[in-house]
Amino acid sequence: MVEQKLWEASEMLSPRVRRLRGYYFLDEQREFQNNVMSFTTGIPNDVVYQILDFISVPDMLGGVLKANRDGLAAMAINLDMPVEFWEQPLIIRKALFFQRVLQEIPVDILDDELIVGGRFCTSLSTCLTEEETEEFVRIEAELIEESERILKLGLSCGGITPGHIIQNHAKVLQKGFKGIKEEAEGLLGRTASEAKREFLKAIIICCDAIGEFSHRYAEEARRLAKKERATRRREELLKVAEVCDRVPYNPARTFYEALQATWFSHMVEMIAESYPGPGVSHGRLDQYLYPFYRRDVDEGRLRREEAKELFQCFSVKHNYAYDYQTIGGPHGRNAGFGQLITLGGQGANGEDMTNDLTYLILQSFRELNMLEPKLNLRIHSATPKELLLKASQMVRDTQGSPFILNFDKIVIEALEGEGMSHDDAVDYGVVGCLENTAQGKDTSGTVDVHFNVAKSVELALNDGEDWRSGERLGAETGDPLQFESFEQVMEAYKRQIRATIQYVTGITSACDALRGKYVPCPFLSTVIDGCMEKGRDIRDGGAIYNFTTFNGVGIATAADSLAAIKKVVFEDKRLTMAELLQALRTNFEEKEDIRQILINRAPKFGNDDDYVDSIAREIFRFWCQELSQYVTPTGKRVRAGYLSWNHFIHDGAFTAATPNGRKAGEPISNGVCPSQGCDVKGPTAAMKSVAKLGFDILPSGASHTISINPTTLQTDEQLDNFAALLRTYNELGGTSLQFNIIDAETLQDAQRIPESYQNLLVRVTGYNAYFVGMSRALQDEIIARVEHKL
Amino acid sequence: MSQKARGKQGLIFSIQRYSTEDGPGIRTTVFMKGCPLTCLWCHNPESQKFHPEIVFNDTRCIGCKRCVDACPEGAITFTEDGPRTERGKCQNCGKCAEACPSGARELIGKYMTAEEAFAEVEKDVLFYRNSGGGVTVGGGEPTMQPGFLVEFLRKCREKGIHTALDTSGYVKWETMEKILKHVNLVLYDIKQIDPVKHANYGGVSNELILENARRISCKGIPMIVRVPVIPGYTDGEENIRGIMEFVCKLDGVARVDLLPFHRLGEPKYRKLDRNYEFKDTQPPTDEHMQELKRIVESFGLQAKVGPK
Repeated sequence: MVEQKLWEASEMLSPRVRRLRGYYFLDEQREFQNNVMSFTTGIPNDVVYQILDFISVPDMLGGVLKANRDGLAAMAINLDMPVEFWEQPLIIRKALFFQRVLQEIPVDILDDELIVGGRFCTSLSTCLTEEETEEFVRIEAELIEESERILKLGLSCGGITPGHIIQNHAKVLQKGFKGIKEEAEGLLGRTASEAKREFLKAIIICCDAIGEFSHRYAEEARRLAKKERATRRREELLKVAEVCDRVPYNPARTFYEALQATWFSHMVEMIAESYPGPGVSHGRLDQYLYPFYRRDVDEGRLRREEAKELFQCFSVKHNYAYDYQTIGGPHGRNAGFGQLITLGGQGANGEDMTNDLTYLILQSFRELNMLEPKLNLRIHSATPKELLLKASQMVRDTQGSPFILNFDKIVIEALEGEGMSHDDAVDYGVVGCLENTAQGKDTSGTVDVHFNVAKSVELALNDGEDWRSGERLGAETGDPLQFESFEQVMEAYKRQIRATIQYVTGITSACDALRGKYVPCPFLSTVIDGCMEKGRDIRDGGAIYNFTTFNGVGIATAADSLAAIKKVVFEDKRLTMAELLQALRTNFEEKEDIRQILINRAPKFGNDDDYVDSIAREIFRFWCQELSQYVTPTGKRVRAGYLSWNHFIHDGAFTAATPNGRKAGEPISNGVCPSQGCDVKGPTAAMKSVAKLGFDILPSGASHTISINPTTLQTDEQLDNFAALLRTYNELGGTSLQFNIIDAETLQDAQRIPESYQNLLVRVTGYNAYFVGMSRALQDEIIARVEHKL
Repeated sequence: MSQKARGKQGLIFSIQRYSTEDGPGIRTTVFMKGCPLTCLWCHNPESQKFHPEIVFNDTRCIGCKRCVDACPEGAITFTEDGPRTERGKCQNCGKCAEACPSGARELIGKYMTAEEAFAEVEKDVLFYRNSGGGVTVGGGEPTMQPGFLVEFLRKCREKGIHTALDTSGYVKWETMEKILKHVNLVLYDIKQIDPVKHANYGGVSNELILENARRISCKGIPMIVRVPVIPGYTDGEENIRGIMEFVCKLDGVARVDLLPFHRLGEPKYRKLDRNYEFKDTQPPTDEHMQELKRIVESFGLQAKVGPK
């Protein structure tokens, strides 16, 4: 095998794509920057930046968000909205303002581009009147304070997050925004309700706005064509103009038009939400683009190589989302934006849906090797062996992990279980990192809340008070010294979970109500089914499926801790409860022997051991079921997920020492992964433990990472075994899976000489990140995980 | 306690899941303790003796001295370098391991019934089915515990699990024959073709081993021959040629695996307070392994190098 630096682009790229890719990586030296542009209506104290949209990001604590708001307000372009504007209801104001922004935002076509659409990082005015702004800011301030409080205590975050959604791209391609507008006009003629009529009018404005917007690109292409000397490029630009004149307002006819239309509605969605990249996903692109691709190829208009180049031009564009991060926050280009493409999977009757485009996209991705977009591969019982082997090779050959795998069997069952129709469930797509949602009709708020379920162990052992600050957070469950059986410990734990859920859902509901009332997003409502029919904005419960997802963080830490209490204190009586509590309070100072007993003398989740796996399952399901009782004011049902993002580090920093032997401040467990380094029986055992949790009640999905040494994926036989491993995970009811294919030496080397590893990508918890851009803690965490090889 | 007194229990020192180098597909390998051979280079020294043994992992020791107090024989003293075990006094009773909080002291070797061992390997049955894998018994020398082994393998076969036996072949034919009834694939170790050298390096002559190989071959059970390539002992071209002259006459040999020497067993010797004589031995070069592979292939046999 040729030794190749894993994070380089392939030699297979066309010169054009290589130039486009190279240009992107010029970073600050690029002439074109997709910097954030803020726009204001011009009223005093206009809110141009939604703090609550970003409140769930731990790195943003400590005034960063406030500073962003002030900065963006100061540099905002005043669109100076006319007096009549203020006579309109909010939903129409939002649509009109959006339309003005699409008239104002610069249009940029870069050299060599075939798919165009440059500036999309925005921060748009909330379009509230002075009076409304006053009320909005007052309520918002309380919610910010509450959210920050629980975040600082390591309990949870409380907000409602945008993005994490799949538009109905298929509809945009088939009908165009013209068709959507006609639909709205039809409904308008039949609707008497004033509020609904206003909403539909807003939809119509948005459809026109995006139509005008693409014409601006057509004009720009013609302008450039006029002064272009090279014949070939001139023809390309004229072609661009022709395509932009047509889509996305009209139905797409060709693969080229379909890709351009998809990019336009994708980028405009990011403009509308002022939330570029995070979780704004494409869904099953290999399905809805396939008819265009097939027809063009069959009719001799398109060669496969050309299709690949177009697709790669389309792909490169997504990476400009990272220019957003030039404002505030210590992210750099390391945070995952998660513009996902879902590939493969089954159809309505269990048949396999893999097609040539699936393979073309995989190949494009492998050659391009950039951060965005990201791939999710759906695996089911009839996934062709060829695809599984190709996937296994890619896992081996690319850095980090080339994609996340989602497993149809349990996902479809779980989606149906939460009330989704069979057709919608089998047609699910993936958003953000790994979260399963319906396509084009679903707002599931898949990263609204990250909630520390290990914290409730601390609370159960401290009568409901935060151990460090003494602040009351949970229920009064009594003095743990009085607990006479493990069952009482478990009961106290569950009461803490119940109480903290009640508390956090209160905050989330208040955020939801505020956003539902004051932050509508009419453009997004045009591309999500249900909104027009109901006459309600997406932020106000318009979509067909409405959820807010609470992601549990630290399930393995909690399960291991409870199992240790059961085994060491109540069964084997190696320690008394008093000894345990004292050791935890002092963070095991001079109590290393006690810590070692807790680590070594109690079973750990991830080893296919029912003793602890059954405890994990019990608390996992308790958490899911407890959440499902809540509904927010706009009608979002609360559902569970297990995606930690980077909260397992943040929450760990604010969680006391735990009875699994974890010291205070250390990270808690990540996603549904076993505690760091505790799964010692290999991947089959880890997979079985994780599958035992029971994902039939967890439609959103959960992150499970397995670190793999690339040397175990060299021979055909090893690849076959790996493919069988994946097939079996589907059969067991596993939900999603990702891999770290990195050896520890490489990473340690990267810590020593970061400058040599600027492009080294690793997967953290559902997202790729540049290793050298991460905190030392996260780097060490990843190295620890890697050393514990498959 | 002797094997006899334990009845049909087997003495097992490790059950390894997702084992992918001991036969086809995803497998679980059951490592049995005790071996009649005493190969100098053995990379599983904990597999050699027929009784449980205490091992000590110094990197995990926290210096709490609980082991010193726990030992009924007074075999453990605490020195500057941590606890030292007087192996002559140690009865391998396991009380120190029981007292040790960190797992630094561990009793290797556990008596299990066929049912208990089967319950463990049954856990990955779905993985076996999807990968064409199964269960491998190795060691040590598994055929030294035939009572347990026959019952365990029969259970596997009853559940349709593919079975592989990894053996040195040094066992009475009557015993081997009983075991083979429940075996789908034999991984057969042939280390040295010269009987005198074999006795010098492994403690026993190879006549019985070669004879049993012939007999297995007559039964038509597929076989993979495994040859450890130990520099200075078995890595000579004449040895490989000699083995292949013998092997190429056998029926049913699917492949010959050449297993290059590695030093990964070294820490295990330290944990057992034993001397490791191969500290300075370098693994064979890739070129040499390829050369040996060509020799094997020149006999019309399929060859594979590895795992390392």
